Amino acid sequence: MATLINTLWQGLWYKGGVGNWSYQFHRLAGLGTLLFLAIHIVDTAFVFFAPELYKHALEIYRHPLFMLGEIALVAGILYHGMNGLKIIVFDFWPHLWNHKNEQRANILIYVATFLAWLPAAFIMGSSLYKHSILPWLGGK
Amino acid sequence: MSVMTSTPTVRKVSVPKTWDTRLWQFMRWSGVLLIPLAWGHILIKDVVIGVHDIDLEYVRREWATWYSFWRIYDAALLAFAFAHGMNGLRHVANDFIHNENTKRVVSWAILIGWFVISAIGATAIIGGVR
Repeated sequence: MATLINTLWQGLWYKGGVGNWSYQFHRLAGLGTLLFLAIHIVDTAFVFFAPELYKHALEIYRHPLFMLGEIALVAGILYHGMNGLKIIVFDFWPHLWNHKNEQRANILIYVATFLAWLPAAFIMGSSLYKHSILPWLGGK
Repeated sequence: MSVMTSTPTVRKVSVPKTWDTRLWQFMRWSGVLLIPLAWGHILIKDVVIGVHDIDLEYVRREWATWYSFWRIYDAALLAFAFAHGMNGLRHVANDFIHNENTKRVVSWAILIGWFVISAIGATAIIGGVR
């Protein structure tokens, strides 16, 4: 048990610093997106296999907690895409790859992800407010 | 004392064309493709339209118009995103598995899972809304 915990922990934190955080976020965002995607493929396939169940799936999609999850998913997909581009650029043009550029790129990606996520989160949040929070408050 | 005059050496490394090499390349190329595909999908469905305006009729209409453009778009998304994700899962899993046999079993399980779910999605895209 102690060995297992040690293995998991070292697998998570083998270097530390900004680069390690980016590596962690990249994996977390990727795995989270994959989990969503696997479910999403099957529930969308209901349009062919079981149209009645698709309506039920949509109800789950419209649940306020699920909508919150989607707002987080957008952040994950934006981050994973931008960080993935960074990995591709440094892999294909290795002369650009040094510690300073890596760190600069990582910070730039945090900022760019946040800025791109803000308007999307605002629009999705407004939809959540209009469809879930307002009716719950007794509004129209 | 030896003088350390290091001249940059150019190494020619021949990379064997194994499955891992191909998958490494696939991760890069599909990754670039997924920027417009996945971001576009999320932008349209979650931000512009929103889940409250999506229903069976919406999907039926979308897949029927524009010479099936969106159906092909969804097929591309299914093909590239899910394979990209499942191979990513294999990479993460391999980081934590140190036994070669376990690695093989897990890799096969991921491959089968990828195939089954992809087949379900592909059948629905080809079959269309019922």
